[in-house]
Amino acid sequence: MLKGLVLCGLLIMIWLIVQAAVFHLVAPRKAFASMLACFAPTVPLYLVLYVMTPADVGFLPSGFVGADWRLGLVNGLALQVLLFLTAGLFYSHADRSITVRLLIELARAPQQRLTLAQMQAVCGVEVLMADRLEIMLANRFLSAQGDRFVLTPKGWIGGSIGLAARKILRMKAL
Amino acid sequence: MKGLVLSAAALVLLVIGSAVALRFYRGNKEFRVFLGAFGAAGALYAGAFWLLPPDLGFLPAGWRETAALVDFGNGFLLLVLMFHGYWCFSYFACLSPSMSVMVSLRLRGREGMTRAEALAIQGSDQPVNLIFQRRLPKLLQGGYVREEAGAYRILAPGERVAALGSFLKRLINAQMIA
Repeated sequence: MLKGLVLCGLLIMIWLIVQAAVFHLVAPRKAFASMLACFAPTVPLYLVLYVMTPADVGFLPSGFVGADWRLGLVNGLALQVLLFLTAGLFYSHADRSITVRLLIELARAPQQRLTLAQMQAVCGVEVLMADRLEIMLANRFLSAQGDRFVLTPKGWIGGSIGLAARKILRMKAL
Repeated sequence: MKGLVLSAAALVLLVIGSAVALRFYRGNKEFRVFLGAFGAAGALYAGAFWLLPPDLGFLPAGWRETAALVDFGNGFLLLVLMFHGYWCFSYFACLSPSMSVMVSLRLRGREGMTRAEALAIQGSDQPVNLIFQRRLPKLLQGGYVREEAGAYRILAPGERVAALGSFLKRLINAQMIA
């Protein structure tokens, strides 16, 4: 099992370095699509490395080798995908968090203070929603019909998932 | 494999437990419910791992991890990652402004909505919109900002979060829109 963990950890590290370079050199408009494109080759690479390397990867103590190789293979692959998704969520936190954005604006402001009206002007609902609507249009969750927004099939699925989650989890906007 | 099985069981209990707890929770600090559920699930996982036999009474011999520490750590790591995903999904699905637009459109059917109607979902017509109504009290209570003379001033903990946020934004080359 440890072999799969070592290989997936190695590949995730390489992917993170490549992805950071891509973000800085190319600045992709669709960040998640770029992340997916860079991550995708690591899946077959993991499978090839798992098959080609010895059970102890050349350095693991014998006590860490022994479980069924298929279990180690699937476990490592599942962990690799989960780490990718977690990295995607961290990207989302850094890029989209409203609270962090608000605090950055406050830290940058003269004397590090803003009135409510100033805060609403720099990161209020108009600025935020203009940003979000543009992202949802670009990612084809919404389409524009005249002056109205409507859901695309992809957006309909997203909205249905959100609706179901809100019925089950009952978290409140306030 | 023992760690994986127990981790999956703990995750199922965590999801059910937090969903039930959220139905009874009346405050607006839902993260406490999630962290409490995770704490309970983690303790349950560790306790079960300690108490139950290596094969759990049904695992084939070949599926048993020889190093108990690796088995435990692997299961716990998966539990942490799955919990993080579930937590993020819950917040996004229930509170995200983008999801609020999609849910409203889903309920409206083909009618669609204008930009002004999308803004109104977030209380743009109110003196303090929903985005600030939810966040400002938490930032004040948490000691991240202070209210003084009709304005909000950032405090040291808030500065640390802002510095971390700025660092992460530089790392991913994200642009500030405002």
